[in-house]
Amino acid sequence: MTTRTGTESRGAATSWSAFSYMVVNLARFVRPAEVTFSGVNSSFPMLACLLAKRAYDFDFTYINVAGGVDPEPPAAPISSSDPVLTTRTASIFDNEDFYDLCCRGGMDLCFLGAAQIDGAGSTNVSVIGDWHAPRVRLPGGGGGAVMLPTARRAVTWRTEHSTRTLVERLDFTTAAGGMHGLVTPIAVFVLRDGRLRLDSHHPDVDPAEVAERTGFAVDTADVGPTPPPTEREIGALSALDPSGQFARDAAVDLR
Amino acid sequence: MTPPDTKRAALADLVAMIPDGSSMTLGGSFLHRGPNAVVRELVRQGKRDLEIIKQSPGYDIDLLCRAGVATRARTGIVAMEGNYGLAPWYRKAVETGALELEEHACATLTAGLRASAFGNAFQPCAGIDGSELPRLNGWVQVEDPYGSGDRVWVIPAIRPDFAIIHVNEVTPEGDCRVTGTSHWDHIMTRAARRVLVVAEREVERSEFQRQPELTLVPHFMVTAYTVVPGGAWPGSCWPDYPVSYPAIDDYLVDDDDSLRRHLAAAPEAEARA
Repeated sequence: MTTRTGTESRGAATSWSAFSYMVVNLARFVRPAEVTFSGVNSSFPMLACLLAKRAYDFDFTYINVAGGVDPEPPAAPISSSDPVLTTRTASIFDNEDFYDLCCRGGMDLCFLGAAQIDGAGSTNVSVIGDWHAPRVRLPGGGGGAVMLPTARRAVTWRTEHSTRTLVERLDFTTAAGGMHGLVTPIAVFVLRDGRLRLDSHHPDVDPAEVAERTGFAVDTADVGPTPPPTEREIGALSALDPSGQFARDAAVDLR
Repeated sequence: MTPPDTKRAALADLVAMIPDGSSMTLGGSFLHRGPNAVVRELVRQGKRDLEIIKQSPGYDIDLLCRAGVATRARTGIVAMEGNYGLAPWYRKAVETGALELEEHACATLTAGLRASAFGNAFQPCAGIDGSELPRLNGWVQVEDPYGSGDRVWVIPAIRPDFAIIHVNEVTPEGDCRVTGTSHWDHIMTRAARRVLVVAEREVERSEFQRQPELTLVPHFMVTAYTVVPGGAWPGSCWPDYPVSYPAIDDYLVDDDDSLRRHLAAAPEAEARA
C-alpha cells in the first residue's frame, strides 16, 4: 500500500521506490549558491534540479540545456531539452554560453549521463564492443569529454545497477576526470581519493548485494542506509510527477 | 535595399540547390526547432552521400540514415530523447558501416565550427584530457606559445557547405530571428559557406527594425529561404507548437510503409502535392 510518504509498508522494509530514490539522491548533490546544470537526455537530473528548487530552503542557480536560467515550467517536460524549460526565465543562456562557462571553471555541478562507469569515475557513452565494430552504437560524446574534466563537480546516474554498467574496465573511455557522484536505484557513490566509494545504500538492499552487482571493487565497511526522503522531498516529487507518468516511463526497479 | 522576395523559394527549389555529396549542419537540438521540412525534402528528392554535422541530432539524422541519404556524420550526441532512447536507424547505420561517423563532444564540434567562423585553421578547446576521442580523431595538443606551460587540445576547422536552420520569422529580404534559445544556430550560420532557412512565417522588415537585436542572421548571409508553417514537425518550434509525440510514435513503427506514411503526413506534404 502506498502511504502519503510515498513509501510502502512491507514488514520492516520501506520500499522507497527506485524512481524516487534516484531523483531525491541526485537532488541531494545540489548545494547552496552554486551554479548547477542539467542537459539533454537527462530526465532524472532535470527532475532532481526542479525538486531541489521546491524542497530545499537555499538558493542556487539552475541552468538547463534549453537555455533556461531558474525557469518556472508549468510542468516537467518529457524531453529534458524542451524549451518549456525556458518558461519564465529572465535570460537565455544558450548552448555555447553554458559550455564556455563550464570550460572556464564557472560550473559548480554538472549532471552528465553515462552508459558505463568505472571505479575511477570515468565514463563510456560511445559504444558497447569495439569502437570500430560496435555491438551497440550509443549516443556518443555529448557533454562529457569537455564537461567532466572542467566542471567543479559532475554527477551521473544509471537506472541499471549491474556489472555490465558499473564496470572494472570501460569498453571505451569517452570522458575522464572523475565523477564526483553516482546514483543508481540501490546506492549512492561519492568519489574519494580518486575512487568511487559506496556512500550509502537503499534501505531495502543489503550492502553485500550492492558490491555483488558492481563490477569495480566496493568497500561496504561502515556504510549505512541512505536517509529516507523528507516530507518536502516527497511532496516536491509528487508535485512534479502528479500522475506518476515519469515514474512509469522510467520503468526503474531495485532488481 | 535588396528587392523583396528574391531569396524566397519553394521548398523543393530550395532543396534542389543542395548537390549530392554536400556537407551540412542542421539547426536546433534533438526534437526542437530542427529544419525538418528540408530534411524530409532531401529524402523525397533522393539525395545521396550527404554529410551531417550537428552537436545533438536525433530525428533528423535518423530519418536521413533510414532513407540512405546520409553516409557521413560528425556528431556530439545522437538520440530520439524523451522516452525513446537511441535513434534506431542511426544506430543501425553506424553498426553496419552505412554511416561513417566522426564522434565528437558537443563542445569539440563547436570548436571546429568556431575555427571556421573565426577564419582559423583550428580552435583550442578545454577539457578532453583522458578521453579516447583525440586518439580516434587524430586531435593534437599544443603548448601555450606564451610560456605558461599549459597545454591545450586544438580541433581542426569544420566548414560545412550549408547551414540549414528553422526560424520563427523571416523578412522578405531574408533576415531571420528565433524565439527562445538559439541552440547552436548562431555558430552554425557563421561557420558554413551558405545559409538556407525555413521559416514559420514572413514578416515585414519594419517588424525587425523595431528590435534589430533580436535578429539572429542578417539577410546578406542568407542564400535562400522558404516558408513552411509547422515545418519543424514532429519536433517543437517554441512558442508556436510543442513536440508531436504521436507523430514520432508513428515514425518509429518499423514496417515497410511507415516511412512513406510519415512523409505524407508532414505539414509541407499537402502544400507540395
